[in-house]
Amino acid sequence: MAFTPRSFRGPLVTLVAAALAGCGSDSVTDANPPSGTPLPVIGHGETTVRYTAELWTRGTIAYTSTWGQRSPAAVGNAVSIWDVAGSTPVMVDSLIVENATTLGDIQVSDDGKLLVVATELANGSIVIYDLTNPLKPTRLTRYQTGNTSNGVHTAEVARVNGTLYAFLSIDPPTPRLVIVDLSDPRDPREVLVRNMGDPFVHDVFVRDGLLFTALWDNGVTIWDLGGGGKGGTPANPVQIGNVRTKPWSPGAGGSKAHNVWWFHDATGGANAKRFVFVGEEAPGSGSILNSSNGDIHVVDVSDMSAPREVAFYHVGGAGTHNFSVDEAQGILYAAYYNAGVRALDVRGDLSTCTATQKSSDGRCDLRKMGRELAVGLDGNVQAFIWGVHFDGSFLYASDMLSGIWKLGPASR
Amino acid sequence: MESHDSTRTSFGLRAQAIALATRVDPGLANRSYTEGYLTQPLIMANGSVLGGHVGGVLTLDFEGLTLGRGQLNPGAYGEGYADRRHPHTYLHEAIVVASGALGRIGVSLAGGKGFVPFGTDDPMTRPFAAYPVNHHLAQILERYVAIAAVSAGPVTLEGALFNGDEPLSPGAPPEASRFGDSWAVRATVTRPSLLEIEGSFASVTSPELVSGGGRDQRKWSVGARLAKSLGFLDYALMEWARTDELVGDLQVSRFTSILAEGSTSPGGATVSARFENTTRPEEERLLDPFRFSRNPSDLGIIGITRWHIGTVAVSKPLPARRVDVAPFVEVTYAHPSEELSPSGFVPRDFYGTASIWSTSVGLRLGIGARAHRMGRYGAGMPNVRSPATRGDQHVH
Repeated sequence: MAFTPRSFRGPLVTLVAAALAGCGSDSVTDANPPSGTPLPVIGHGETTVRYTAELWTRGTIAYTSTWGQRSPAAVGNAVSIWDVAGSTPVMVDSLIVENATTLGDIQVSDDGKLLVVATELANGSIVIYDLTNPLKPTRLTRYQTGNTSNGVHTAEVARVNGTLYAFLSIDPPTPRLVIVDLSDPRDPREVLVRNMGDPFVHDVFVRDGLLFTALWDNGVTIWDLGGGGKGGTPANPVQIGNVRTKPWSPGAGGSKAHNVWWFHDATGGANAKRFVFVGEEAPGSGSILNSSNGDIHVVDVSDMSAPREVAFYHVGGAGTHNFSVDEAQGILYAAYYNAGVRALDVRGDLSTCTATQKSSDGRCDLRKMGRELAVGLDGNVQAFIWGVHFDGSFLYASDMLSGIWKLGPASR
Repeated sequence: MESHDSTRTSFGLRAQAIALATRVDPGLANRSYTEGYLTQPLIMANGSVLGGHVGGVLTLDFEGLTLGRGQLNPGAYGEGYADRRHPHTYLHEAIVVASGALGRIGVSLAGGKGFVPFGTDDPMTRPFAAYPVNHHLAQILERYVAIAAVSAGPVTLEGALFNGDEPLSPGAPPEASRFGDSWAVRATVTRPSLLEIEGSFASVTSPELVSGGGRDQRKWSVGARLAKSLGFLDYALMEWARTDELVGDLQVSRFTSILAEGSTSPGGATVSARFENTTRPEEERLLDPFRFSRNPSDLGIIGITRWHIGTVAVSKPLPARRVDVAPFVEVTYAHPSEELSPSGFVPRDFYGTASIWSTSVGLRLGIGARAHRMGRYGAGMPNVRSPATRGDQHVH
């Protein structure tokens, strides 16, 4: 076959056409319209200097962490302190964590004495503050070892048999759970380092001597820390069971187990401690701040050694993030990134539903069951909700784009 | 046409480097940066025995010693570096090739560490000191790779298995346990000694997360390369590349590139120009704002930036015995803009402007015979006949 420059003209034209076609815009997703009633907005504490991340409240004080780089001078190294006594949260002070670029997780200990902040990416650590004056936290120590240095993605503070521990989920390439004894918060003591997760361990939930680890594509594993009767301790957790929750879409790969909440219904009954809620975080068709995917999964832990998923909640074009549960009212609040906040009725038997309320794989669909009570910050505002915290009276939501929102609670 | 050797054994050796001074304004936050380094310091060797049926190439790259912080290069990204081009691994290529023929069909098997048969020629072999943004869209390199190639007339076909993980550092070897988790095919059609058109596809598993489980990639490339002077053009390349990133089987991101570049030599100087329109992923920067996290812990990215970049370079070889010396000047204008809104990375906020100028002066230095064509092996080399069909040997 003889080739001449002219004979290449056709393919070249095709190449140019293909190239131009390939330069179209990249796709983003749209959220489904909400079906619940609106959560009332009480106030908005606005800050746009940095991207806001997680929040925690205690009394009339809220703490929010920051994430990423909004500009080279505005990196995620700040903890904002808010007075939330009034309708509109007011930022009253802030802390700067040196040598940090992202503070993902933040939590106040159950006795209100300590504030624990995780630093991610390089220089992974936790920074522990004394809250004797909750408006002026004073730093006790920064705990950083070779086992944390790759980045502490989440840090959960919980008590086991009266002792306060921090549970640190460490970023890959060697993902691991590090458990630190905070009995002396000035001198944390490492009691466990265990590699886990595929490809990482993302978060944990600790209650009644049980540890629930969100292991991403390995689903959720339940461990005995002393409350499960298997001889486990924080220094030597013993595995009880595992569940691989289903991905939000059949083609979405593994579980993407992101966060966990073991629900204790304050009203008691047969279902009071039966269900664990698992958040699935899957990337959307774009990037964070404009898209997300992932469902809320309901896992029946009646048999801790054989947990099984029984129900789910799905929002089209959006994915869930962190939870807070009003256990007195049986209402789950879920941060839902680009879909705002969702409030679900989680009281009663979530595993039983009619045939029309089931998905094709047999799980109950909480939306079809009428469990969606309310929605917030969806539609009328441009928000990207990282976390929620219910303080018994009000719901607070951290918005990566604009700070903190104070919302009224959902009602039954 | 690549070089040939009529003896039963052959050996070639070359050393080269670029002494470079670059000023970028702004590098970030409206701040200009001026730096100098020795970039692309290479030792390249190739040889063949048994009448050219067995050959090998070796390329050692010492950028790990000279470019630890990376080379200022607006828009460049990959392997944990952003807006600085990352240093390559010390063992850049080490490939053994067995070549032969079945009738008029050339065949070869190649294996070792080197380039995957995907995309276009490496930027290191092209006329610019600055890398294009699309390097990680248009080439796959420094992997353990096994390549089968056949060539018949103007058509060359290559297929390869390799490990998906990108290098962790200049001295880190690929993750051997992941060999075979990724594959690629490339077809090249030539008009001998004038033009090559390649089309290629690669399925790459978890390139960023070496332990696996990260985002996977499906990559396409189409390129046309002028292999010899045509009219006023001494060299030209036009390429389109696309990378889709997947979580599970679902596409979560798409990055595209179109690039055109060429060279001409009026009056003994070489004038080269390049235009590029490429999108790149943005990931969380570290304390060093030119570095990013290679372990995205939620499998997400924080934004997509489109880069429009134009580059002009002028070089003039100087007469020198045995040594190649060519001073050059290179000027680049870049305009980055966010593709998605809202975005966790807004170029105008990050750089302080939407217009970035980069100016480099330097000296290309080399000694030794012309090197092998980096990234193509055995029968996968267009415009070269296999040993048996030609009756003589070619370098690797």
